[in-house]
Parts: sequence; structure tokens; C-alpha cells
Amino acid sequence: MSIAPLIEIRNLVKRYDTHTVLGGIDLDLAVGEIKVVMGPSGCGKSTLLRCLNRLVEPSSGVIRFRGEDICAPTADVRALRQRIGFVFQQFALYRHLSVLDNVTLALRKLRGIPRTQAEQLALHQLDRLDMADHRHKYPAQISGGQKQRVAIARALAMEPAVVLFDEPTSALDPVLSREVAALINRLHEEQVTMLCVTHDLALAQDIAEQVLFLDQGVICAQDSVARLASDHESPQVRAFFGRADNL
Amino acid sequence: MNDWAAFSRDLLQQWPLILAGLGQTLKLTTLVSVTGLLGGIVVFALGLSPYALVRRGVAGYISFLIGMPLVVLLFLMYYGLPQWGLHWSPFAVAVLGFTLNVAAYNAAYLRTAYNGLDPQELEAARAQGYSQYQVVRLIILPQVLRLSVPALTNQVILNLKDSTLAFLIQYTEFFGRMQELASTNFQFFKAYLLAALVYLALVSVIVVAARQLERQLLLPGGTR
Repeated sequence: MSIAPLIEIRNLVKRYDTHTVLGGIDLDLAVGEIKVVMGPSGCGKSTLLRCLNRLVEPSSGVIRFRGEDICAPTADVRALRQRIGFVFQQFALYRHLSVLDNVTLALRKLRGIPRTQAEQLALHQLDRLDMADHRHKYPAQISGGQKQRVAIARALAMEPAVVLFDEPTSALDPVLSREVAALINRLHEEQVTMLCVTHDLALAQDIAEQVLFLDQGVICAQDSVARLASDHESPQVRAFFGRADNL
Repeated sequence: MNDWAAFSRDLLQQWPLILAGLGQTLKLTTLVSVTGLLGGIVVFALGLSPYALVRRGVAGYISFLIGMPLVVLLFLMYYGLPQWGLHWSPFAVAVLGFTLNVAAYNAAYLRTAYNGLDPQELEAARAQGYSQYQVVRLIILPQVLRLSVPALTNQVILNLKDSTLAFLIQYTEFFGRMQELASTNFQFFKAYLLAALVYLALVSVIVVAARQLERQLLLPGGTR
């Protein structure tokens, strides 16, 4: 008997007036799996992620999270969001809060965990990401790579069923990008389920054997970066992944 | 020389009344600064409502109150409302009129600060599962209040200066008392110069306190 995927997307469509951003996406994500979705800017990658926690409302199609339709009228959107960690392109740390408070806030206000216990949980996550020493600093006092680690710690502290990464390296230099890739690999080894959208070929190659290529709102290829760069029938796909030859 | 002697004599004679007027000025300024801030926060928060009708109502309120001179609002309430059977004391009219006016301005300042926030931070808060109320209370308000400190404290200075309008609706505040002093001995220049110096001193106190507050609220890393 096969185990149902954690996230199951069927024929997902998102339209803005006459413009179709997602034109029928089918995608499964199993527990402990990592999937990478790549594609050019404006292809609908970020919209796809935002449909999964209903920051963006799908126009049609079905998204099941642990078998339950997240778009059903009875679906508890806030509860769903608390089960899905989201790491943003520009880190999106709360700038008025220290690193520690960025991580504890949701534990205290959403889970109702007392401050001391929330701080212990937060410190565990920060320590896991080598950020415990920076806990009293504010976002303005840490580097981009450190911000990204805090953002990941903030997501992991809620023990989410899945972590969604939206272009996690686009605001980072190559060295910090490799750090993030190593971090994602570590989380993958720890069986954290992840879905990452990116147009960073190096990151994609570092964290997944296969990538999905999203173009004009549809997934039009799935293979390793190397094969998509050399063997794929579509010249657009080969052109997009072509830069991989130089890596 | 005789002018100065007469002015000083009248000043000393009327000093208890002038001091009481100063007390009324400070009472009104302090009260409307607090109620205007609280009102401004409520109006600002309503302006973030998911309901378009509420947002339009808030925009209309702000435009109407900012577009209307405060003195007209005070006259409307003090001299106009009795025709509809509503009689309020000068103090009640001053507090309510100022609060309505100051809340509109403060809401506009907070809105300006809100427009400068990072939209991804707000999206991150929604993605974490916070309710709209929690996003406003935990993420938006702490930031916009901090960013608006210069504008909000400037509004306190305006409140102090605008409190001089209250004597036009029979509220006996400091400037009204100075008017009385001036009309006693016709030493208008001396009386109004003294009034100006007192207001300047009070404004200076507010400015010093505001700068202190700004320094305290500065986040490590140089951001507010």
C-alpha cells in the first residue's frame, strides 16, 4: 500500500483577470522529500508556493495537505499556515525584534508556550543553525547569510510538516549561497520535508538530484540539471539550464 | 517705566488666574495628546481592515477632519450643536473636538510609516499563521509607532499651540488669561511677548523629551 503524499497538488490554476500564472500544476511531495522547482522570473514559482498556504487563493484545482483539501470552506487556514514553514527571499525578519524574539514570538503567541520554555526551544533551533551567539542582536546587526539562518530557525521552531523556500539564495553572495545549500542538505538528512523554488542552478544541483522546470505556468520538464541542459528537446529548457555547463 | 510697573502689578495681581489658565492649557494638551494618540491608533488600525467599506469610511474620516479647520469644528460643536439640543461644557467640546482632529492627523502619520514597512515582513507574519489583529498588534504597531515618533511628538507641540483656540469657546486656558491681562492695562506687546515666551519654554520641554524618547527607541544597528 503506497503512503499518501504530504502535499498533493492536482490541476492547480491561478489566474489574475485574463492572465494565467499557473496553468494546471500537478505535484506530489512526500514526507522527508525535497523538491526543487526552477524557472525564469515571472514563471509562477512564488505563486505556486503561496497557493500552498493560501497567501494566494487558487482559482481552481485541488491542494491536499495530509489528505485534506486546504481550499475546502471548512479548512482552518491559520492552523494550516502554522504547519507550513515559509522562508522568504529577503528573509523577512521582524526588524523591531531581536533574533531570539523573532524565533520565540510565534511559539508564545500562536502556541501559547511560556516565554522561558519558548526561549529554550528557540535557542535549540538557533544553536542548530549556529546562531545562538547572535540571539540578542537585531536583524540590522547581522549579515544576509545569518538573517537567512534566523529565518530558517524561525520556521523550524514551529516544527512544521514542510518548509517552503522562496528563492532562498537570491539575496546572498555565492559563498553564503553554498552555506544555505549545505544547511538545506543537513535538514534533508534530518528528514525535514522541503519544497524550494529558485533560479539558482548551483543551489538546485547542490540540494536535489532532479528539478522541476516551470515555465509559463506549467511544469514542462523534470530531470537532473545536467540532462536538462544537454538532452532536453526544448531549446528554452536547454537554454535555461545551459549555464550549468560552466559550473 | 510706569508701563512696566503697571504691567508687573497687574501680572502679579492676576497671577493666580494666569497660573490656573496654564494648568488648564497643560491639562487639555496632555489629555488630547493621549486621546488623540489612542484615537489615531484605532483609526489607523481600522484603515487596515480587510473590508473595503471600513477602509473607505476611515479615508473619508481622515480627509474630512484634516480638511476642516479645527476652530470651525470647535465652533460647530460648541455653538452649533446646542441648536440640536446638545449642550456640552467648553472643556468637553475642546477634548472631543481636539481628539477627533488629532486622531485624524495621527492616523495619517501612522499610515505614512506603514507604507514604508517591508511588505514581506507582513506577508511572513500572515504565513506564520497570525490573525489580522495579531499582525497589527505584534508586527505593524510596534514598528509604525517607533517610526512615527518624530511626527507624533510634533503633533503634541501642535496640540499645545492649538490649545490657544480653546479660549474662543470659553475655555479659560493660559492664552485667554493673558488676553484678559492685556486688556486690563492695554500692554498688548508685553502680555503677548510673555505668552510667547511661556509657550516657547513649554515647547522646548516637549522637544527635549521627544529627542530623548527617539534616542531610547533607536534599535541597535541604527534603525528605528
